[in-house]
This record gives sequence, C-alpha cells and structure tokens, in this order.
Amino acid sequence: MIATIPSAVLVGATATAVTVEVHVSNGLPGFTVVGLPDAAVRESRDRVRAALLSSGLPWPRRRVTVNLAPSGTRKGGAGLDLPIALGLLVAGGALDADAVRGLGFVGELGLDGAVRGVPGTLVLVEALPGLRVVVARASGAEAALAGPGRCATAAALSEVVARLRGRRRWSDPAASELPVPAGPAEAPVDLADVRAHPLGRRALEVAATGLHHLLLVGPSGSGKTFLARRLAGLLPDADATTARAVVRAHSAAGQHHPVTAGAVRPPVRAPGHGVSPAGMAGGGGSGGAPGELALAHGGVLLLEGLEGYAAGVLDLLPGPLDEGVVRVHRPGAATHPARFLLVGTVQPCPCGEGGPPGACRCQPAARSRHARRLAGPLLDRFDLCVRVERAPAGALLGSEPGEPTAAVAARVAAARRRAVARGVAANGALAAPRLAAEVPLDDASGALVDRSLRAGGLTARGVDAVRRVARTLADLDGVDGPVDGGHVREALLLRGDRALLWGEGGR
Amino acid sequence: MSGPGPATGRHALDDEAVHAAALAHLPGMTPRRLARLLDGFRPVMAWRAVVAGTHPGDPHRRFRGAASGADPAAVGDRCRAADAGVLLPDGAGYPVALAGDPGAPAVLFARGHPGVLEARPAVAVVGTRSATPYGCRVAAGLGRELAESGVVVLSGLARGIDGAAHAGALGAGVGSAPPVAVVGTGLDRPYPAAHRLLWEAVAAAGCVFSEAPLGTPPRPGVFPARNRIIAALADVVVVVECHRSGGSLTTVDAAARRSIPVCAVPGSVLSPASAGTNALLADGCTPVRDTADVLTAVSLARAARGRPAPDGRPVRVGPGGTEPPHRPGRDLDRVARSVLDAVDDVPTTVETVLLRTGLSLASVAAATEELVGRGCLDAGAGWWSRR
Repeated sequence: MIATIPSAVLVGATATAVTVEVHVSNGLPGFTVVGLPDAAVRESRDRVRAALLSSGLPWPRRRVTVNLAPSGTRKGGAGLDLPIALGLLVAGGALDADAVRGLGFVGELGLDGAVRGVPGTLVLVEALPGLRVVVARASGAEAALAGPGRCATAAALSEVVARLRGRRRWSDPAASELPVPAGPAEAPVDLADVRAHPLGRRALEVAATGLHHLLLVGPSGSGKTFLARRLAGLLPDADATTARAVVRAHSAAGQHHPVTAGAVRPPVRAPGHGVSPAGMAGGGGSGGAPGELALAHGGVLLLEGLEGYAAGVLDLLPGPLDEGVVRVHRPGAATHPARFLLVGTVQPCPCGEGGPPGACRCQPAARSRHARRLAGPLLDRFDLCVRVERAPAGALLGSEPGEPTAAVAARVAAARRRAVARGVAANGALAAPRLAAEVPLDDASGALVDRSLRAGGLTARGVDAVRRVARTLADLDGVDGPVDGGHVREALLLRGDRALLWGEGGR
Repeated sequence: MSGPGPATGRHALDDEAVHAAALAHLPGMTPRRLARLLDGFRPVMAWRAVVAGTHPGDPHRRFRGAASGADPAAVGDRCRAADAGVLLPDGAGYPVALAGDPGAPAVLFARGHPGVLEARPAVAVVGTRSATPYGCRVAAGLGRELAESGVVVLSGLARGIDGAAHAGALGAGVGSAPPVAVVGTGLDRPYPAAHRLLWEAVAAAGCVFSEAPLGTPPRPGVFPARNRIIAALADVVVVVECHRSGGSLTTVDAAARRSIPVCAVPGSVLSPASAGTNALLADGCTPVRDTADVLTAVSLARAARGRPAPDGRPVRVGPGGTEPPHRPGRDLDRVARSVLDAVDDVPTTVETVLLRTGLSLASVAAATEELVGRGCLDAGAGWWSRR
C-alpha cells in the first residue's frame, strides 16, 4: 500500500512543497526515510511511533519506506512528523485515502500525540496552494493570515484522525481557538512618561504619521532612547498585506512574531552594535534567511548610538531605504521586502555637548572622526533630524504626565487616513514624481525652500523630504488643501541641519 | 597697511641659515634638542660637529646617521620653494621680543615680512576653537580696531577666535598694522585646511612664524609650544573666549611667567565657552569691554617696559563697533516677543525654546523666521542666539 501526503519544509527563507510518500509492504519490519532527510527528519520515526501508540493508533509491523519528494532537496525540521504519521495510517489501511484528499499537513508530534507548531508556518502554508493545511493549534493565528479556506488546526494526532474518520468538514480556526500570545509581558512604554521634550514628541508624532525616518541627536542622558522606544506604540496595526509579510519574514527566520485575532503590531528591531553586515542584510549560514532589515519590514528599525555600528553595517541602509527591498546574494539569491521606519539616535560629538557652538569640548580631530563615522548619504536619508535636550529638573519632578500614547496614536491614525486616500500607506512613500501634484508649493513656501537650498543646508533629496513632511504636517492639522508656508517652515525646522552633528567648524 | 619690511624667502638664505634649517629638519629633532645643538655653535659648525659625531650637544650621536645622509642644500631649496625664511637669534628679522626670552626658539621659520613686529606694539588675541557667534564678533571687532590703531594683531590662525581676530585685522583699512601669526604646524601645512586662504592673506600682509620644520603635521604638543611664542611676542594677551580648561590657558600661563599682562573679555555666565575667561576675570585679569580697554593696557605695558605707546589714532568704541546694540522693536507681536525672551545670548536650541514658551513648533518656526529677518536673532544649525 502506498500513500502520498502533501507537506512543506523551509529551505532557507522560502518554503518548498514536499510530497511525503509512504510505502508499506511485506518484508522484514523496518523503517527507512529516503530523500535527503536531515537528522531531525530521521528522528521523526521514533516520535511518530510513540505518538501513534499513545494515541491508540496502529504502528505497522511491516517494511516501511518513506520518500520525501522532490528527493534532491535537503529537508530539515520536525514539521514532517504529522504527514509521515498520516501517511503510515493511510498506507497501513487505518485511514481511507479519500479522507486526506485536498489536505496538507505540517506539524511536529510529541510522544503523547500532541501536534506542535513549527517555525515558518505561514510560509509553509503558502507553499501549498489549493490545499487546506492542517497545522498545530498554537500556529493557527499565524496560518490564518494565509487567507480563508487555507488552514485548519488540531491540538493532537487523535483529534486529526477522529476528524478524518468522521468525514467532518475542516473549517478555518475560529477566533476562540486562537491562542493569546504568551510571550514575556513587556512593560508597556507610554508617551505619558515623557515629561519634557516638546520637540522630540512632535518629531515622534510626525515620524509615525508619515513614516519619515527620524534621527534624534542629543547629549547622553537627554532621553533619545527613551523617546525612540515610544515611537512604535504610535504606529497603527499593520495592514493585511504588510501583516502577512511581517509574519512571513519572522517565520522564515525561525522567529515568532505575535499575532492576535488577525492583528499584527509593527515589529521593532533594535540590533545592537555587534550586529554583522550579514546579520543585518540576511543570508549567511542558513541559506538566505532574512536579516534585521527584512525583519523590520512594516515596523521600526531602531539603531541606538549610530556611531557605534560598523561602517559596513551602516552602508547597507541606503539601498533598502530607497528601494524598500533588501537583496541577499549568498547563498542563492533572495529578495525580501524591507520597508521600515528608520529611527537613529546619536551623540552630536564624542563629549555629547556639541551642536550649538561654544559648548563642545572635543578636539576638532575627534569631532571630525566622529562625524566621519556617519556617512553623508545615510544622514541625508533621515527626513527628520532633531536635537533633544536634557530635560530641566523642574519638568521631571512633579510635573503632569505628558499626553499618553493612545491620544497621539489617534491623531496619527486620523492623519494616516488622509494619506491612504492619496493611495499610499503614509506620506513617506509618496513617489518623487507625485510630489509636485500632491504637495504644491506656493510662492512663499517655494522661496523658503529655495533659500535653504542656496544656503547649502538642503540637498535635492532633502527638498523632496521636506515636501513629504510638510504634507504630513498638513494632514495632522486636518488640512486637505495645499500645504502652506507654516507647514514648510516647520518641515524645514524638523529636517534640521546635519551641522548639528559636527558643530560649527565644519567636517 | 604700512609698507612691508624686507621680505624673507628666495634671497635671504645664507649658508648659516641653510645649515640651521637642515638641523631643524633632522628626524627626531625637537626645539629643545635644537637649542642644545646651536648653543655656542654657529649652525655650519654645529652641522659639521654632528656629522663628525663630536658635538657635545649630541653625546649619543643621535643625529649623526641622519645628518651624514642629508644634504643641507636640499633643505635650503625646500625652504625656498615654500617661500619660508629662516631666522636665527642673532640674525636679521628675528623678533627682538624673543631675543632675551628663556624659551626662544633657536631657529624660527617665517613667511612674509618678519620686520612688521619692529617698532609696533603687538596684542595677542586668542581664544577657543569652538567659539560662539558672540566670541567671533568680539574677536573680529577687536582685530580690526586694533589694526586700525596701529597695533599688530597676533594670533594662532586656529579655528574660532584666532581666525576671527586675523580676519578682522585683515579687514582693517589702508595704513593699518599688519597681522602676525604664530602657527604650530610646518609653514607648508596650513591647519585647519579651511584657513588656507586666511593663512596666505596673513603671510602676504604681515608674517606667519613657526618654529616647526616644514611638513610638521598638526599633533598634540605643537600648539602649546606655539602659544609660548605668541605670549612672548605680545605686549598684552587678550583672551576672548575660553573654556574652563581650554588651550588658551597655556598662552595665559606663558604670558604670566613673562609678566605680560593678560586681559579677558567677559561673557555670559551661561556660556561654557566663556567659563575660562570669566574665571580669569575673577582672578583679577583686566576686563576688556572694547578696544580702548586693550589700548590702555598696551600703553601701560609698554610704559612699564620703556617702549613707545601705540600712536594716538582715533579709536572707535565697542567691539564690532559698527552699530549700537540692537534693541528689539516694541512692534513685535506677543508670540514673537515671548520667543525672543526665550532665546539667550548664548546659542539656545529649538527644544529649549519650545519648553520655555510652551508654543507649538509651527508658531516658533514662524516667529523665529520673523525675528531672524528683523535682525533680532542669529540662526544656526538647530539653535538661535540673540544678536
């Protein structure tokens, strides 16, 4: 008797459909897995045997050959446990072949017969088009993102078999079946904790609304990180397409991004100074797996202390910032979406007091070394560059809490709706050719921009950024018409001057 | 500008000067070692003694190998190519003020007209490299007015105060005193690079001195050494802006050891760039409110040394003294007025203004633009200061 069960495995960042063929024949009892299985797959024999026996199901005392087709691809992971078990049941005659028609299976088995989730569930489900894929209940929320009619969940092997034998229809996981994410509860960060920092707050709100890349400059202890950590809370939930992309990227990287009842929060990636270029871009050992840039897609990439990153890491940023994708060249070639909000914090100079003239005590050489660590092309891509000051003591002690995240997030969401009506998720994605039509500048605003251009504080990319930010400011003001001089003036001020970073003496 | 004195350079290098320059350019040479080699030796003799290994100032024959392989004439050519004159303590052009000085350089390189220092009072205008707009304005104003009063403005051509003082002195009218600079790097190594043109202009109008051999890069140690020469050349040292432990304080120490009066320009107590100068004032230095204060100090200093005081040209009062201090008009609206009140004399950042006024960023942006347009505020990269 032979049975074929569709399943899928992860190969690097992508999933490959695998057909599990089980052949049960007379001969010396034995169990052979062929088709380039790795150790985890070879061990599945013991897990499957125990799971079958503890679920009260028969283990064929005959010669069993399991082939994983296509046989030429190396297969790993424990997700093939469930399809192998069902293949055995079908090939051994315990289940009708018709019962599994139109279904795919992905899941690891416990010795007690429990079905466990595997990394990459969403990608694996998407690799089996046209089939309803049975996955572990714990992975239901993630798999449900694949769309209606694409998945079903089960908690145990016995439950799967009972359902197959009963010929009951499989249905999408109900909301009540979806697990509540049980990650370690992070202390909620709220903007209400931010007591001073009027400029920082404004910059966060504008950055979250328009997805404008934000650079916070300030002395140590001024609250740059404190502010930056509160940015993600202002972002609305990811839309359906982005949510799938977010979960897919995390899935493919073998990480878990929490999904609750279809809602996906934007991810926050904050790689430390030790991150390598490969860790950032992806690739490396495991076959084109997504790196931090791809994992930040749809969310925030937070780089604290920009000057501390290796130059090779920072040099990777401009490409994805412009194109919205990151390309992994080795091993194989893969392209991952990487459209994220870049938030950086940096000290203006080694002593941290620089920026306004007269305050910095650094040697000019030390200051220019510091400035050289931050390449001009990267700095130019920050649409907002604001200097955060140490809060005065009076503002920290006994003052009223600031405006909470929820209130600001509501304004952000309202302004985002205007951008969506314009056909983009946020104004930061407005293409340059559309700017003339969407953000017309009147004479006065044009003169403002022109003056900044001539003064050398603004590049051509900067002009586009100022227009996008001005549009966001108008959206926040509830203005549907053209932006006015006030918006442009504020956008110019928020764009700031890169001279903040190297003080008066020039680079 | 007065007529330039004898120019150094192409024709001024005799055999002694060439050998002195060659000694100074030996690898590993320091001002102190050079002084030992030239103590009691004429340069040509000193060179021969070093090559022979018999120089008592080089007991370990440290320089013998390098000197044997070196050609003094090549160094002379190099100096001529760089238009650098070589001044020896007993030779022409060597500043008289340095002659009796304990720390006088044994060999001094010069570009321009070293004679401009003779018969003119000199005031060192020095200060921090990270100067505020206030400090730069004061330094430029002092530089111009001192030059117009016939006083040589002496500084180090560094960023900030030094450069502003020199630029001010160069901006003075015809017949003014030329500026003089003492630099720490080699004369062919303008530093900072941004001051290359200023450096050329000072050399063309006045003189640029350096005790460092050609090609000496900026490195720690050369600037404090340079400061002692500035102090020794000056009749009065004026510190315009200086941090609490700024490099200008080495100039002040060198001046104090030579009993040269030190004056300081008062600054805001809020400004870190004025912490050093305000401390000097608290220690009893003469405060400088305007050029007249400096000229008084110069007269007193020269009277004490038995030298003629600066000629009695009319002096305009007030550093920068072109216009009286601006009083912001009463016609400002309430928002602009509160923004103006929130900005200090020292650079005040955007966030500080927002905190102090409680206004929205858009209102502050509009108000500051108006205030900058009216000339009430100076604008910088993310900050404003009162003009």
